Amino acid sequence: MSLVSATSDRGGVAPPATRTIRFSLEGAAIRLVTGLWAIGVLLPILSLLVIAFLRGRGIGFIWTPSLQAYSDILVGFRIEIILRTLRIVALVTLIEFVLAFPFALWLAKGLRAGWTKSIILVLLVVPFFLSPAARTIVWRSILGREGLVNSVLMSSGLVDTPLDWLLFSQFAIHLGLIGPYFPSMVWPLFISISLIDDELIKASRDLGGSAWQTLWLVVVPLAAPGIAAGILFTAIPMLGDNVVSALLGGGRVALLAESFDDLIRAMNFAGAAALASLLVLIILALGAAVLALLRRNGINGDVFRGMQA
Amino acid sequence: MQQLPEAKADPHSEPILELANIRHSYAGNPALRGISLDVARGEFLTLLGPSGSGKSTLLRVIAGLEEPDSVGQMRLDGHDIRKLPANLRNVSTVFQHFALFPHMTVGQNVEYSLRLRKVPQDLRRQRAEEALALVRLEGKYERRIHQLSGGERQRVALARSLVMGPDVLLLDEPLGALDERLRLDMQLELIELRRKTGGTFILVTHSQEEAITMSDRIVLMRSGAIEQVGTPRDLFGSPETEFAARFMGVENVLRGTLAAMSGRRAEVRVGDQIIVGRAVGDVARMGPGDAVFVAIRAEHVHVGAGGGAANTLRGTDGAPIYKGRFSDVTYRSAVGSLVARLGDADQRAPKHADLSFSPEHCIVGVVDRGKLA
Repeated sequence: MSLVSATSDRGGVAPPATRTIRFSLEGAAIRLVTGLWAIGVLLPILSLLVIAFLRGRGIGFIWTPSLQAYSDILVGFRIEIILRTLRIVALVTLIEFVLAFPFALWLAKGLRAGWTKSIILVLLVVPFFLSPAARTIVWRSILGREGLVNSVLMSSGLVDTPLDWLLFSQFAIHLGLIGPYFPSMVWPLFISISLIDDELIKASRDLGGSAWQTLWLVVVPLAAPGIAAGILFTAIPMLGDNVVSALLGGGRVALLAESFDDLIRAMNFAGAAALASLLVLIILALGAAVLALLRRNGINGDVFRGMQA
Repeated sequence: MQQLPEAKADPHSEPILELANIRHSYAGNPALRGISLDVARGEFLTLLGPSGSGKSTLLRVIAGLEEPDSVGQMRLDGHDIRKLPANLRNVSTVFQHFALFPHMTVGQNVEYSLRLRKVPQDLRRQRAEEALALVRLEGKYERRIHQLSGGERQRVALARSLVMGPDVLLLDEPLGALDERLRLDMQLELIELRRKTGGTFILVTHSQEEAITMSDRIVLMRSGAIEQVGTPRDLFGSPETEFAARFMGVENVLRGTLAAMSGRRAEVRVGDQIIVGRAVGDVARMGPGDAVFVAIRAEHVHVGAGGGAANTLRGTDGAPIYKGRFSDVTYRSAVGSLVARLGDADQRAPKHADLSFSPEHCIVGVVDRGKLA
């Protein structure tokens, strides 16, 4: 009896003690991460918003609120650049989605786990390790006047003079953006489609759903969080891409990111901050639009809850 | 000639589902070894067997969710469905984990098959409500799936399958995910549902108790082949092979050699004892010298003197196990250990006793049907 009560006593006291320790550790960790996030992410963005309402004087600022920076940057050619950037990003994101969705579907549901799948997944990570400039510059030797495409077209007699809209053009920028941002679109789609229980797809087939009906009524709605994430992960970094337009636009087709370089080079920090806060606004609007779209289609937390069940 | 149309009208005249020589394997491992089976209209058929016996595979082949290696014949309501994909077969599956669509409401789940068939919305809703009423889920049309209990999810899955009016309803261990109490309730509810709808149900289960309670007919499966087909009474009372006897829960299964046969009366030599029993299965193919099994249910073993039956053995070192409603006592005997059941759990089991059982309750059959064929 004494042995039993002794063990139960020990068992009764020990767990709360460990729980208290774990709790305080957890709390400290959460506070630390929140603090670092505030200092590292929120503070710069907030200071951007502040600086955007100041006027520059040399490398310092005049500390009186003003909308000068905004009126400085919102001139005709820059509005044109912003609209062009938005158009190109929207179109390339759409192209990425159209290419990535069938690919992710095949990867997640069509392909059995094995070597092929592993190799493809590794290949999808590789672009993240390559220098953006290195993988972009390759297009020059393919699209240039003496590049691969023009050589083939010329030698086959399809064209007499090299096509010069291939490089340093909007075409080149579209093409150059597709490669680097393909994994950003594929990954969230692949993960969200993988999470869909095969039984749900079978149930849809069993109840009379054709392949297309099953895709539209079951797979797409359940993959919606991944579709949203894919669009955001692709479009947002693409808005700030300054490599592709610099290397493949050749100064003829400027995108938004290059404007930052220009403004900073001209030491117009307030202007750069104003443009950056505008970009943040665009990104927030994009995020809100995607969320609203999900809501309208009745997608909410239930989807995730359903996956766990 | 006159009777021909009349015979056609009889719902029991031709089977709703005819299967012949279905073979399937997974990566070279045979899962179905030539299954042939007819299912009658309105029948409650159970595919019973341990895991890996191929029962679920067979169900998926019928649903069209698994493409078998080869099919001799597969006819549903008289039509060849061998080449028909799952979505064009008028059968419906209730999945083990229900497979309800988490992004839809209860109502949307139930009317899914009608939506696919372009049924107008108001008619769809009306039929979904009817199906929900059938499974006693009135007023849950607008609920979300995660708000339901396990038993309610089970019923939604049933309603979703029934609403499309399938020729055959396939139930893939649908009670496996429920707790004990709910499972017993759902058994009765399924029986009631079958009675109300008059549909043909095929149930897959590994529980012999479930199979006996619900089925008109049981197909016992073993490593991809059919071991025995019969009514619950046949399977429970007269298991024809040693596997069937063990799977149907017979506590005492012994092996011996057939010593003599006359009609159904068989004399079996077990060790140096002769046990008299009732031969089951194809008696004509059994002869003296054959390896046979002897099976006696514990409740048929009489403990103590005065049994007066033909088979009497001396039991020693009785070890009782309390089971609540009864106790099982394991005795040592000349033929090995024998379990006897005491109906009154509080009755003191004698340490040593005479054990007797009548030949009627002692089943004799071939050890393995494969060795006969």
